[in-house]
Amino acid sequence: MVGKDCVAIACDLRLGLQALTVSNNFPKIFQYGDNVFLGLTGLATDVSTVSDLFRYKVNMYRLREERNIAPRTFANLVSSSLYERRFGPYFVSPVVAGLDPKTGQPFICGFDSIGCIDFAKDFIVSGTATEQLFGMCESLWEPDLGPDALFETISQALLNAVDRDALSGWGAHVYIIEKDKVTKRLLKGRQD
Amino acid sequence: MPGFDFSNYNRNAALHARGVPLPKATSTGTTIVGCIYDGGVVIAADTRATSGPIVADKNCEKLHYIAPNIWCAGAGTAADTEFTTALISSQLELHSLSTGRKPRVVTCMTMLKQHLFRYQGYVGAYLVVAGVDPTGTHLFTVHAHGSTDKLPYVTMGSGSLAAMSVFETQWRAQLTRDDAVKLCADAIEAGIWNDLGSGSNVDVAVITPEKTTLMRNYIRPNERTQKLGSYAFPKGTTAVLNEKIIRKEEIGKYVSVLELTEESDDKMEVDT
Amino acid sequence: MEVLLGITGKDFTLIAASKAAMRGATILKASDDKTRQLNKHTLMAFSGEAGDTVQFAEYIQANSQLYSMRNETDLSPSALAHFVRGELASSLRSRKPYNVNLLLGGVDPITHKPSLYWLDYLASLAPVPYAAHGYAQYYCLSILDKHHHPDITLEQGLKLLDLCTDELKRRLPIDFKGMVVKVVTKDGIEEKPFDDDKVVKSA
Repeated sequence: MVGKDCVAIACDLRLGLQALTVSNNFPKIFQYGDNVFLGLTGLATDVSTVSDLFRYKVNMYRLREERNIAPRTFANLVSSSLYERRFGPYFVSPVVAGLDPKTGQPFICGFDSIGCIDFAKDFIVSGTATEQLFGMCESLWEPDLGPDALFETISQALLNAVDRDALSGWGAHVYIIEKDKVTKRLLKGRQD
Repeated sequence: MPGFDFSNYNRNAALHARGVPLPKATSTGTTIVGCIYDGGVVIAADTRATSGPIVADKNCEKLHYIAPNIWCAGAGTAADTEFTTALISSQLELHSLSTGRKPRVVTCMTMLKQHLFRYQGYVGAYLVVAGVDPTGTHLFTVHAHGSTDKLPYVTMGSGSLAAMSVFETQWRAQLTRDDAVKLCADAIEAGIWNDLGSGSNVDVAVITPEKTTLMRNYIRPNERTQKLGSYAFPKGTTAVLNEKIIRKEEIGKYVSVLELTEESDDKMEVDT
Repeated sequence: MEVLLGITGKDFTLIAASKAAMRGATILKASDDKTRQLNKHTLMAFSGEAGDTVQFAEYIQANSQLYSMRNETDLSPSALAHFVRGELASSLRSRKPYNVNLLLGGVDPITHKPSLYWLDYLASLAPVPYAAHGYAQYYCLSILDKHHHPDITLEQGLKLLDLCTDELKRRLPIDFKGMVVKVVTKDGIEEKPFDDDKVVKSA
């Protein structure tokens, strides 16, 4: 979710096999640089495989280019890596959030499982609670939210959406990304 | 084409057999049109991307760059239109560099149809290719299976019927530039209002021998009205169990940073 | 109806596996050990398709031991878990994937922190405080949810295990012929006695 000179990315913590909860501490947000974050929803094994794959690719990028990867570059890396598997996709729908290292402008985008990028100016949602999240974000989000207001907005959007999704929930992580700091918060959520 | 990686294919087929639903791809259930006029060609598109019945993107770009004088409107599987046009654009650039000529629309169309035919329709890109080259003004449609058409006015996508009805009633020979833009925009609007897979805004591109003009969001008939109220929550609404702040300057604790002065002897060698 | 259970506590990780080796509805053996020791502080329990299970577990065991010999140091449980996941994930993309579900328990040789990893045949990996595989999940996770605490002692852990196995004996329609119970502590791996013949009356 985009705010004024800041972005937020949040996820729930459940890992389940359809109706059975296996773990309630399975974060789905990964960091790939000072200001680049990737959220992954979908099949658990692919969440691990894809996050490891991008860790490898981003590390190789950093060694080759001797600089950190920018969110927009990373988004294109994600897109082409996913499209390479057009006919045997990873079952994930990623979300990228970050701040442009040069301009400090917020950047967010989402993908389908075969790498089509959805650039958005406001918010991106993904996962089993997509429909609920679309409704929450569409009504709660407004332009130019400050870091604190953005935190409350994204948290309430996520918590209330997952409460109406049987397959999501069990706590949540929220990252607020600002120019000179990143705040990670663990939310108190329903445990059912 | 370096080719696709099929290593997940068998696993996914096994997974699907066990009842795991295949992920939904974003598609541009779309209205795209093109129309030739005296002195150039116009293409236009709506800006809605859908994933099943959900609007995934309210303002996406469906007019793709191929070359400065060739542009392409895409319908079908969003990722496929995006990547096929990017691939052909790159191949065409290399081709025109090696031949030293301006790229031609027929070349582009042929490359597209050969690529799409090779994938037997599994690459789901439905395209309207338009451009002006030294041989004249051209307008083609390319279907995912590799068939092509050459017509003075064309429509594609789920809103193609609505758009075509506008062309069939209002098109005439010897259109002016403004007439053609108006006609294309009207055709897209017919799709926006009457086809559920199409919506939001109208993008238009006009290609003439001199230059290409991309008019992003040429018509915006679906502006979101200003919300009268605000749902902003007061600070402290959300219960937080744990908070961790990582500041940039604190990274210095773990990495020592030395500023080099200008006078330092061992300056980095720079190739000139 | 294979049962795998894992419980972590203050300074130990408990791993238990049912003793019955089954083929269809027939019990072929009542003293099967579905666990393999990977190194001094790490133990792996496995269930799944006959043949795949032992083959895969012993492949991992051999590689883990090879690493220990070459480097004169053991891999940590976390490192092993990620290694196993990598192997399982690449197997998943081969012509004939291994169909194995695993629990990997251990105590870190340096920090002495106990840990438990849950892996399924799709190579999903999750670090967990307690875990089960197969039908046991449905009966035991609720018991563990209620009674588990991160700093229970070994005695309390064994009592908790009894609570789980009693429930399994009560509810599972097939006799799983008792359990092999092993405990990992900083001093190594030790088998614990388990009363296989205990009779649990159904309610």
